[in-house]
Amino acid sequence: MKPIEESWDSCVKCGICRSVCPVFKEKKEEPFVARGHITLIQELIKGNVDFSSKKAKKYLGECLLCTTCVESCPNNAHTDLAVVAARTTVNKIHGIPLYKRVMAKTMSSRKLLDLSVRLGNIFSSVIFKTVQDVPRQGINVKIKNPVVEKDRLLLPISKKTFLNTYPDIIKGSSSKKVAVFIGCAVNYAYTEVGDALVDILERLGIEIVIPKAQACCGGPIYYSGMVDTAEKLAKKNIKLFEKIEADAILIPEPTCAAAIKVEYPRIFKYFSNDEYLERAQKLSERIRDPADYFYNDTNLIDILKNTRLNREYTVTYHDSCHLNRSLGVKTEPRELMKAIGNLEFVEMKDADRCCGNGGTFSVDFRETSLKIGRRKAQNIINSGADIVVTGCSGCMMQIAEVLNIEHSKVSVKHTIEIIDKALKGSDL
Amino acid sequence: MRKKAYKKLKSIFKDRYLDEKIDTIQYAYDATQRMYPPDAVIFPKTAQEVSEAMKIVHKYSISVVPRGWGSGFSGGALNIDGGICMSLELMNKVIEIDEDNLIATVEAGLVNYELQEILKPYGLFFPPDPSSWKFSTIGGNIAENAGGPRAVKYGVMKDWVMGLELVLADGSIIHSGSKNVKDVAGYDITHLIVGSEGTLAIVTKALLKLYPIPEHKKTMQVVFNDMSRAAQTVSSIIKNKIIPTSIEFIDRDAIKTVEDALHIGLPKADAILIVEVDGDLCSVDESVSKIEILCRQGGAVDFKVAQDDKEADELWIARRSISPTLKRIADGKLNEDIVVPRSKLAEMIKLAQNISKKYDLPIVNFGHAGDGNIHVNIMYHTDKEDEAKKAEKAMNAIFDACLSLSGTISGEHGIGITKDAFLEKQLGSRSIELFKDVKRAFDPKNIINPHKMKL
Repeated sequence: MKPIEESWDSCVKCGICRSVCPVFKEKKEEPFVARGHITLIQELIKGNVDFSSKKAKKYLGECLLCTTCVESCPNNAHTDLAVVAARTTVNKIHGIPLYKRVMAKTMSSRKLLDLSVRLGNIFSSVIFKTVQDVPRQGINVKIKNPVVEKDRLLLPISKKTFLNTYPDIIKGSSSKKVAVFIGCAVNYAYTEVGDALVDILERLGIEIVIPKAQACCGGPIYYSGMVDTAEKLAKKNIKLFEKIEADAILIPEPTCAAAIKVEYPRIFKYFSNDEYLERAQKLSERIRDPADYFYNDTNLIDILKNTRLNREYTVTYHDSCHLNRSLGVKTEPRELMKAIGNLEFVEMKDADRCCGNGGTFSVDFRETSLKIGRRKAQNIINSGADIVVTGCSGCMMQIAEVLNIEHSKVSVKHTIEIIDKALKGSDL
Repeated sequence: MRKKAYKKLKSIFKDRYLDEKIDTIQYAYDATQRMYPPDAVIFPKTAQEVSEAMKIVHKYSISVVPRGWGSGFSGGALNIDGGICMSLELMNKVIEIDEDNLIATVEAGLVNYELQEILKPYGLFFPPDPSSWKFSTIGGNIAENAGGPRAVKYGVMKDWVMGLELVLADGSIIHSGSKNVKDVAGYDITHLIVGSEGTLAIVTKALLKLYPIPEHKKTMQVVFNDMSRAAQTVSSIIKNKIIPTSIEFIDRDAIKTVEDALHIGLPKADAILIVEVDGDLCSVDESVSKIEILCRQGGAVDFKVAQDDKEADELWIARRSISPTLKRIADGKLNEDIVVPRSKLAEMIKLAQNISKKYDLPIVNFGHAGDGNIHVNIMYHTDKEDEAKKAEKAMNAIFDACLSLSGTISGEHGIGITKDAFLEKQLGSRSIELFKDVKRAFDPKNIINPHKMKL
C-alpha cells in the first residue's frame, strides 16, 4: 500500500484552484477550494485540527469531486483523493447518514437493487408523479421525506431493466467483440440509452457480451467515503470481467467507467493492501466509453457522414466531468455528431464546467448544486441549441432539472441516442 | 483586554467573523506554503467596515494583515504574530468604468482577470498581467506592485494606478490621487502605497488607468545556439526603437525539461525567445520584419511567426509549461525573481550556470528578457538534507551575483518575509531606517502587517 499523502502533497498553495472551482465560485470561502481541502487534511494528519467539528464534515462534504482543480493544477495534486480519504475519516467520527447507508446496502446487491426498483414500480402511483413536459422526462416524489425535495426532478423508473431485456450474448457478423457494463442509471432508468447502444453495435455487426452478474460499480459509495463497501464491489466486478474475453468493455455511464478505470486501482493502491492491484489495473486498461470506442476503433464516423436526421437540429454538447477529465474523452463525441447530416453543432460557453450534480452532492447540498447548475443552463440557452447532448445520466438529470427551472424547452439527450437516431434517419 | 476587541469584532462582523481553528488554518498560508494561523478572520464588505475594524484593532494594539486571494510568493498575507486576518475578497465590485476618462474605479478584492473580462466589451484592457492574474486581486497586485509579460511595453502596476481609497491605522478613510492626468497636489501617497506590501494602510478602492485593446498582435519564436547572442538581440531590438509587448526567454535546461515532458518538437538550443508585438496592422507587420532582420543578424538559427491565434498559443506552450514540468528534475525548488539591467542578462545567466556547477544543483532560468526579470529556479531533492542546504547557499550566491550586476532581488514577488535578509544588502542601512520612519508616520503602533520587510 502506498502512502496516500503522496497524491496531494505536491500542492504548493499557489491558489490557481480558486480560479476554476465551481463550488468556490458560489461559496467564496477557502475551506471549499482544493487548496483548503488539502490544508485541512494535512492538518488533520498532523493532529492540529479536530475532525469532530461539524464544520469538518461540511467542508469535506461540499465538494463535487469534479476534478477541475486537478486538471488545472500545475503540480498535479489530487485533491479528489484527499477529499475521499478525509471523508472516510469523517464517516468514522460522524457516522454515515441513514440514506447513504441504505444506498450502500442496496447498491451492494443486485437483488436488493432489482427489488427496490420493482417496489418503486408497484407503488409508483402512490410515491411518484411522472413529469412529462420537461427537457427530459423524470419523476417527482409525492411524499414529504427528509432526503429528497418534492419538486426535485428524479430519474424515471423503467418497467423492465436493461439487464433483463437482453440475452447474455448477441452475436455479430464481424470479428469484433465487446462487453457491456451498463451502470445502474441506464439499467433502471434511462434504458433507452442502453437500447440505443445495443442497436448501434448490432448495426456495426459487433458481438455483444452482457454479463448478468455485473455488480454496481461502487462509485457513489466510494465517493461518499465508504471505501470498504466499494472495495467489495470492485472485487466482484474484477473477478467477473477478467474472465470475459472482449476487445473492450463499453460503459455508457462515465461515472461507472471512471470508478472502474480510475478508482479501482486507487482503492488497491492506497486504501487496501491487496493482490488485486494488478488485476484492477488490467481491467482498467479495457474500460472504454462508447463514443471513444466508436470513433477510434470502428468505422462509425464514415457511416455517420452519410446519415441525415429527419429535420434540422442545432445541438450543443456538455462535457461530463468523469468523461472529460477522468476518461479523457472530449473530442470524440463532438466529432461523431459533427459528421451527422442536418445537425448543426455549436459550442456553448464553459462546456467543460461541472453541471453541479456530483451524485449525492445534489442531495446533500441542493442549493449550491442548483446555483452551479443554473450557470450551466444559462450557457446552454445562450448557445441557441435545440438540444443539449451529454454522455452521462447524472448530468442529463441535473441539466433537465435546471433547464426546467429556467422554463427552457431545450431537450436533453445522450450522445448514444443522437448517433442511434442519425443511423435511423429519424427525429431527435 | 484583547478578548474585548475580538468580541467587538465578532458583534460587528457576525457570520463574517471566524475564529475556530478549522477556519483560521484556511487563511494561514499563501504560495510560500508557510503556515501562520491568525487568531480570527474578518470579511469586511465596505470601507466603513474596514474603518470600524481598524479603530478597534488600533485601540487594542492588535496586528492586522490585509489579504486578497492569498497567492503571493513572499508571505505578504501571512499573520506572523497572529492577530486579525482581514480578507478583502468580498469587496470585489467594479464601481465604475469611465469611458470618457479611460478610468475604472474598482474595489480592492476584485480579481485582475475578472476586470479584464468586464472590460472586453468596452474594447479596453488593464495592462498589468501578472501570471497569477486569474487568482490574484487588484489589491494584492497594488501591494506587490505586480507586473507580467506585457511590462516591456506597458509597465507595471505603478504605471496604471491613478488614485486610491485608503483606510489608515487609526480607522480614518482618505483618498489619494484623482482622475486627473496632471495632479501634483501634495505628496504622491498613491505611489508610496503601490509596492508597500500592505504595510502602510489598507487599500479599499483604486482608480485604474485603462487602455484600448490593440487591433493586432503577432507572436514570434526565435531560436539561438548561444544565450549571450539571444540577450544581445534583445538589446538590439530595443536599441532600434522597437518596443515589443513582451520578450520572454527560456534557457537550455528549461527547453530540455519542457521537451522531455511534452515532446512538442522544441529544438536543441541554448535559448528560445518568444516575442510579441501589438498595435495597428501596418506597425505590427513592420515591427515583425524589422525584428526578423535583427534576429538573423544577431545569429538566430530559426525564426517563426505564428499565423493565427492557435499557432500563437502553441508558441506560448513552451514558456507556460516550464513551471509545471520542473518537478521532473527534482521535487524541491527555490524560485526567486531577480532582475538585472537588460544588457546584463547574458552575464547573469552565465553566473547562474557557474553557481549551478559549483553547488552541483540544476538551475533552470526563464522569464522576461525584455525587462531583465529572470525566474531562477534552483532544483533539489527535499529528502536530501544536504541538497536543501546547498540550495539555500546557491540562492544566496545568486542574490550576490545579481547585486554585483546592479540588479534587484525582486522584480514582482516582493520582499515580505522571504527576502527581508537581503533588502539591506541592496539598499543600505540608511534606506531601511527611512522605511521605518515612513512606517511609523503611517502606523505608529506597527499593527498593519508587521514583520514584513523587517518592519
